[in-house]
Amino acid sequence: MDGGGNGEVFLETRGLVREFRVGPSVVRALDGLDLAVTRGEFLAVLGVSGSGKSTLLHLLGGLDTPTSGDVVVAGRDLASLSPRERTLYRRTGVGFVFQSYYLVPSLTAEENLAVALLFQGTYGPAGRRRAAEALRRVGVEHRRTHRPSQLSGGEQQRVAIARAIVHQPPLLLADEPTGNLDRATAEEVVMLLHGIHCDLGTTVVLVTHDREMAERVADRIVHLRDGRLVGGEDTTP
Amino acid sequence: MRLWRLVILALGGLRRTPLRVGLTALGVTIGSGALVSMVAFALGMQQMAEAPFEMLGLLNNIEVSPGEGNNGKTRTLDDAAIDELAALPGVEAAYPHIRAAGVKLFNGEKSASATAVGMATQVPMLGEADQLLLAGHFFDSGEKPEALLSAALLRDLGFESPQQAVGTVLTLKADGLAPTDTETFAYERKDFAITVIGVYGMPRMVPGVGHRGVLVPVGLMKEIPGIRASPAMARLRAGKSATGAGYEKAIVRVEHFADLLPLEERIRAMGFETRTLLERLDKMRTFFVVMDALLAAVGTVALVVAALGVANTLLMSVLERYQEIGIYKAVGASAGDLVALFLAEAGLVGLLGGFGGLLLGWLVAWGLGTAVNLYARSYGVTRTFDVFSFPLWLLAATVAFSVVVSIVAGVYPARRAARLDPIRALRRV
Repeated sequence: MDGGGNGEVFLETRGLVREFRVGPSVVRALDGLDLAVTRGEFLAVLGVSGSGKSTLLHLLGGLDTPTSGDVVVAGRDLASLSPRERTLYRRTGVGFVFQSYYLVPSLTAEENLAVALLFQGTYGPAGRRRAAEALRRVGVEHRRTHRPSQLSGGEQQRVAIARAIVHQPPLLLADEPTGNLDRATAEEVVMLLHGIHCDLGTTVVLVTHDREMAERVADRIVHLRDGRLVGGEDTTP
Repeated sequence: MRLWRLVILALGGLRRTPLRVGLTALGVTIGSGALVSMVAFALGMQQMAEAPFEMLGLLNNIEVSPGEGNNGKTRTLDDAAIDELAALPGVEAAYPHIRAAGVKLFNGEKSASATAVGMATQVPMLGEADQLLLAGHFFDSGEKPEALLSAALLRDLGFESPQQAVGTVLTLKADGLAPTDTETFAYERKDFAITVIGVYGMPRMVPGVGHRGVLVPVGLMKEIPGIRASPAMARLRAGKSATGAGYEKAIVRVEHFADLLPLEERIRAMGFETRTLLERLDKMRTFFVVMDALLAAVGTVALVVAALGVANTLLMSVLERYQEIGIYKAVGASAGDLVALFLAEAGLVGLLGGFGGLLLGWLVAWGLGTAVNLYARSYGVTRTFDVFSFPLWLLAATVAFSVVVSIVAGVYPARRAARLDPIRALRRV
């Protein structure tokens, strides 16, 4: 299955506002953002740092709640979910990849996946099989017993990606996944995300400031500036 | 999440700061060790105080004396009354308790002054008499002129060992005043030939049986001059005939300890006064309950202090693991999962400390117990004391208590971890 999406809106934000109180003043990270992502689409969100990219991803992933506006994923408004349902959404509905990998330093690559599966309710032989499969997909199965400190940045990010897809979520959110990596490694990681998108049909929202990279893998690019979308472009040939 | 998965994850969390976790667990160890050794000490003291009573079966005895029962009736404690008592259901034996101080025992040239005590021959007087018998055997049923000799008399009578005394025939000389029909008393002197069939050693603290005692069958005891003098005098003073006096005291031995109280009630209803060791023991037990509570309170204070250590360690752990907690939340851990995780860590510290406490408590008990026994030996005491008592329930309760106290201490840190905002937790490095 190649890019593009099938036209059905999978993820939608309406008038999304997120304000942060910084001392006496209020900072508006997102300022009435309207965005629609179709099922199976690879969307890149471009923007300089401080443009609200990460905040957007956190809201999409149910890690944060908007000040106002709605996030609708697969027809459900995240704001209407109970804490339990929100946890369930994080468990099954979404996978996160972060710029700093965020692997648990005391756990091996394999264990980092296992602990995620554990919270998601999968363990035992089924869990091990899935973890091995995910590590193989990202190409680090030979490093599965290494701790993050024993892995290169690229390998750590691969493990993090494996963790994000180990439960086969329909939505993958990547927050500057290449920000800490050199050019060549960054390339590999982005192509890996693209491969997952193509093979599994996962809807991907990639946040980055690297325009060139976004253009190579994304079906569509939107620009975020000061918490608003400023025009978009379809990169599908 | 399955419990053991949680435990493995919690162990992983504890593993990363082994020194800190170890020190915290050591705190719990000291707390629970103090608790377990103190309670064990209280229990040991109580057992030591009660053991002789239980061993001798004295708890199954009701002392019956004439006098006012609980309905105003008075009965004379004579042979007929004793037969009646013996016939009560649940009674194993009833016999007059007759003592005569100052009887003389002769083994050829050697002699000793002793207290003669009448025994029922059909049942062993003592619950576990075997433990007390140093040589020989208890009375066979039947009234033969036989005697059990206190070990304290052996030397005076020229015996070198208990075994040597068994089988010898002693002369028991007794004299005293016996009431006649009128208000006069006759002086009597009698000699009895008695065969020693056994020698007993008796802890000094046990009441009722003289330290320098010679136990003879009740039938023989009734023949000893002087035993009726004192009750007869009492009757004369009360303006009654001197003859027909009963005994001052009788022992009713119940078959089952559970029947003791109902039987005591019944005997009182017949018009007798009763006494049991249970009453005395009850007072002693009240004392021990207070002592238990005090010592347990001291131990609990130690454990609570240790619990503060657990809370502190976990709180530090939560602060240090902000990012990890954020990661767990991001990959789908619920607030409940995180609470469970940190409570499991707290519980494991408590478990470790609890078992450590058992070991420590045992070491303390062993050390102090050895010291006490060495001290006692230096004073010539040959018995060994079990100063500490560790019943199984105490061990289980100690471990359970340290786990529970630690888990309670973990509640605040765990809730704090669960309430963390995942975004802020992730950003914090």
